[in-house]
Amino acid sequence: MATLDEVKTVLRDTLQLGDRASNFDASTPLFGSLPELDSMAVVTLIAALEERFDLTVEDDEITGELFETVGSLTEFVDLKLAA
Amino acid sequence: MTFQPLFLEGPTGRLFAIYFPPVPHQQNRGGLVYVPPFAEEMNQSRRMATLQARQLSKQGVGVLLLDLYGTGDSEGSFQDARWENWIGDIIAAMDWLVGQCGGPIGLWGLRLGGLLAMEAAQRAPERVERIVLWQPVARGRRMLDQFLRVRVAAAMGKGGPSESTNNLRKALSADGTLEVAGYTLPSPLAEAIDAADLANLAPRTNCRVDWFELVPQTDSSLPPAATKIAAAWQAEGANLRQHTIVGPPFWALQVWTEEAVLVPELWEATVKTWVGAR
Repeated sequence: MATLDEVKTVLRDTLQLGDRASNFDASTPLFGSLPELDSMAVVTLIAALEERFDLTVEDDEITGELFETVGSLTEFVDLKLAA
Repeated sequence: MTFQPLFLEGPTGRLFAIYFPPVPHQQNRGGLVYVPPFAEEMNQSRRMATLQARQLSKQGVGVLLLDLYGTGDSEGSFQDARWENWIGDIIAAMDWLVGQCGGPIGLWGLRLGGLLAMEAAQRAPERVERIVLWQPVARGRRMLDQFLRVRVAAAMGKGGPSESTNNLRKALSADGTLEVAGYTLPSPLAEAIDAADLANLAPRTNCRVDWFELVPQTDSSLPPAATKIAAAWQAEGANLRQHTIVGPPFWALQVWTEEAVLVPELWEATVKTWVGAR
């Protein structure tokens, strides 16, 4: 997945995770595991992804599964970019 | 370092502003009106803007930090705010600044403020010689969706009935206003934001534009939207320079930290382009 690093960077910058984000891989759990990622932070994160990748996220696409892991989020971005 | 809080007359009411007069230099380096971003982003970025204004004034550039009508300490309530009036506010602020400092007068806009600045420049081209954009909003509709999502997320967090941006938009046009994150958003303002598109606001060829985009360290290329707009503008002969600065989105809601996020590299780069080559 070409965008994994980019998604990690957006996570790091948006949630101010600092060096912790460099240990993330595709299996790292997000929503529910990362204290910084509450519902408000999800909004900020979606906005950052939209602007970075120039994609539009629909409301019904914002689900718990989407934010399950770094990998699921990256897959979503990849799908959006391929569309 | 002195600064002057003041009120000036806007088209719909008195506007609060803070003026950072230029520290005398051999040459007149002109002045800038700062156009703030939308709603909570304005509060989040206040410190970045104030500290930038201070640095520019030390270099001989006068800076006026403006609160648009219905925001900050200006008159009016948010629900009476209108896009057209905000454009008028910006032009009134430039008129005020022209009387204060010599040299080129310009606009400096952050996020939605960038979009507003470009439209004001189109409306009053004889007044605007230069423009500084910080992460301008490319499409108003996307920014408004992001704003409405704050309310969607708040409802999610409370476990209340689920909302969607589409339903909120319907409620907004039916009721005329919508409460989002403590702001009473008026329908006419929302419609104008939806319609605003940076690609349609190419600057005049005699107006230099410096566009700063904050990017992540791992990929310091410009985001695709910025590249597309630059191509559209340059096809119309725009004098545009785009700059990338590595740094976090300091205007975004920082719910997990009390401290303002600052990007000193952006201040330095902005001062350099303004004070450097004409």
